[in-house]
Amino acid sequence: MESLLELKDVSIDFQSKRKSFNIIKNINLKIDRKMKYGIVGESGSGKSLTSLAVMNLLSDNLSIGQGEIILRTEEEKVLNHLSKKAMRDVRGEDIAMIFQEPMTALDPLYTIEYQIIEVLKYHRKMSKKEMREKAIAMLTSVGISRPEKIMDDYPHQLSGGMRQRVMIAMALITEPKLLIADEPTTALDVTIQAQILDLMNDLTEEHGTSILMITHDLGVILETCDRVAVMYAGQVVEESTVKNVFDNPQHPYTQGLLKSIKTLGDRSEKLYSIPGNVPTPDEYQELGCRFATRCPFAFDKCFSEEPPAFQVGADQTSKCWLHDEEANPNE
Amino acid sequence: MSNQPVVLEVKNLKKHFPIKGGVFKTTQGYVKAVDGISFSIKENETFSIVGESGCGKSTAGRTILRLLEPTEGEVWFNGENLYDIKKRAFRKKRKDFQLIFQDPYSSLNPRMTVQELLVEPLLTHDLCSKKEAIEKAKEMVDRVGLSEKHLSRFPHEFSGGQRQRISIARALIVHPKLVILDEAVSALDVSVQSQILNLLIDLQEEFELTYIFISHDLNVVKHLSDRVGVMYLGQMMELAKTDDLYKEPLHPYTKALLSAIPNLSTTEKKERIILQGDVPDPSNPPSGCPFRLRCPAAHDRCVTENPVFQEVKNDHWVACHLYDEK
Repeated sequence: MESLLELKDVSIDFQSKRKSFNIIKNINLKIDRKMKYGIVGESGSGKSLTSLAVMNLLSDNLSIGQGEIILRTEEEKVLNHLSKKAMRDVRGEDIAMIFQEPMTALDPLYTIEYQIIEVLKYHRKMSKKEMREKAIAMLTSVGISRPEKIMDDYPHQLSGGMRQRVMIAMALITEPKLLIADEPTTALDVTIQAQILDLMNDLTEEHGTSILMITHDLGVILETCDRVAVMYAGQVVEESTVKNVFDNPQHPYTQGLLKSIKTLGDRSEKLYSIPGNVPTPDEYQELGCRFATRCPFAFDKCFSEEPPAFQVGADQTSKCWLHDEEANPNE
Repeated sequence: MSNQPVVLEVKNLKKHFPIKGGVFKTTQGYVKAVDGISFSIKENETFSIVGESGCGKSTAGRTILRLLEPTEGEVWFNGENLYDIKKRAFRKKRKDFQLIFQDPYSSLNPRMTVQELLVEPLLTHDLCSKKEAIEKAKEMVDRVGLSEKHLSRFPHEFSGGQRQRISIARALIVHPKLVILDEAVSALDVSVQSQILNLLIDLQEEFELTYIFISHDLNVVKHLSDRVGVMYLGQMMELAKTDDLYKEPLHPYTKALLSAIPNLSTTEKKERIILQGDVPDPSNPPSGCPFRLRCPAAHDRCVTENPVFQEVKNDHWVACHLYDEK
C-alpha cells in the first residue's frame, strides 16, 4: 500500500537580506494510513518547521528549497507545488493541525461555536442547524460534559485542558486523513496530558486518522506512536519503529538522549549528559555530520563528509558513519 | 541525612490574594494560593515541592523568602522567625537566601555583561571590594562551567543552558545557605537539562547548600530530592522521603500524578489512573477535601471535612481520610 504522506528529500532554506542558510536538510518520511508517526527532537531541531512545511504555512523568509511533499488521498497531490487556493482545500479537509498553545491558536474574539463551525462552513454544505448539531456531537466525543454551554463561551473562559479538547474537536470535525499535533500536551499538566493523549488515541482509532505527533518528550512518543523519527539540527538522524528506537538505538545522539532520560531517577548514578549545546542553524557545519562536535565516537570522517542514512537491521535507518564498516576505525 | 539538624521550619503558612472588583475595588473574595502548609527542611537537604500549575508551589517559595508578605504562619530559619524581622533588617539577611527562576531569558538583565551581573550582588550586600568581586566572579564562572572570556559578554549571546549557568553563578556567588530553585530546569532541553542537574548536585556538595526545588517534572524531582511534598490547590497532600513516595504513594492524587508520567519502557505497560476534570478554580475551592471532585476514592466525609495533614508512617505525611484511623 502506498503511504498517505511522503516527504521526499525535503530541504528548507532561510533567506534574509544579508544571509541565507539551509535549516532542514533532506528529510525523508513516509506515513502510512492509520499510522501514528512521531517526530522527536530538542528545540531548534526543525521538527515544527517540518510540520509547518507540510501544511504550507512557512513564513516568507523560509522556503522549501528542494524535494516534494506528497499527499495521497483519492488523488496524489504534491503539496508544495499546490496553489494557495488548492492548499486551502487541503487544510482542514485532508490535514488538520493542533498546536501547542491552545490559547493563542483559538481566536479570543469569537465564541467556540463560531470557531468550530467555521471549518464546516468552508468545507461542507450543511444547514446552520446541522452544523451546530455536529459541533455539539463532536464536543461530546472529546469528553466535554456540557457542550451546549461551552458553545457560547469564549476561549478565555475555558481551562487549558478544555481548550485543547476544543482544538481537537475542531481538527477532527471534518474527519481529516491526517492530524498533525505539534506539541499538543506540552503546555498542559501531567494529569491533563494523560487525559488528552488518551483521547487522541481513542478518537483517531475510531476515525482511522493518521497522526503526525511532534514532540520533545520521548515518553509521549512511547505512549502514542508506532514509528518515530529522531531529528537533530534539521536532519533525521534515526528512523524506525518506536520499539526499535527505544530498545536498540543506533545513532549516538539517540543513545545519549535515551541514556540521559533513563538514568534520571536513579540517584546512585551520575546523570548522563551529552556535552555541549544544540547548534543554531548558522553554526551548522558545511561538511560532515552535524552532531560530530558533541559526539563521543566522532572520528576524522565525521568532520569531512556527511554520513548517509545507513540501513541498520530490517527496519531501521541511522545517519552515522559508525555503521559503515570501511569508515569505522573501531571495527 | 536523617540526623542532620533542621534549618528551615515552615508552620501553617498561608498566602491569600484578595480579589478586587466592582466600582470601589472592594475585596470580593480571596484566592487561597497557599492555605496552611507546614514542613521542615534539614541541613544540606533537597526538599522538592511538586504539583500542577496553579497549586501554589511557586507562591509558597516566594512567601518563604518574604518576596510576598504572608497572610499567616511562621517560617523559622536557624532559630529565628523570618516574619518577625523588620523589613530593613531582613534586607541584610537576603544574601542567605537565593532564588533561581525558570526562564533564564527574562531573569537576567539584557543590558549587563556577565561580569556586571555577577559582581552586582556582592557589591549590593557590601561583601567585598570591587576588585575582589571581579576575582570572585572569575572563579565562579569557571566553577559553573563557563570561562573567563564569557565575562565580557551579554546574556543574549548565550544559549538557554549557559544562561541558566549564569543565573546559578549569580545566586551562589554570595554563598547563600538556602537556594530556592523555581522550575530551574523546566525550560531546558533534555540533553542540557541533565548537565545543569549534575552541576546543581555538585555545587550543593561543594557549597553545603540546602535546596528547595519547585517543579512539576516528577522525573527530575525523583532524581534530585531527598524528600518530596506534593501540593494541590494550596495544600500539602503528601510528604515523604523520595523513595517512599515513589514506591508507595498513599494519597490518591499522588498515585494519579505518578501514574500519569509517560513511562519509558517498551516492555512493561503501566496501569494508568486517568483523573476526570480539571483543577478547580482556587478562588472557589470545593468544600472539605480540595481533591474530592476528582478523587476516585471520595466518600461522604470528604465533602464535609478537610482531612488533617498527619504522619501515618515514619516520616510519611498525608492529608486524606482514607488514612485517618478515626
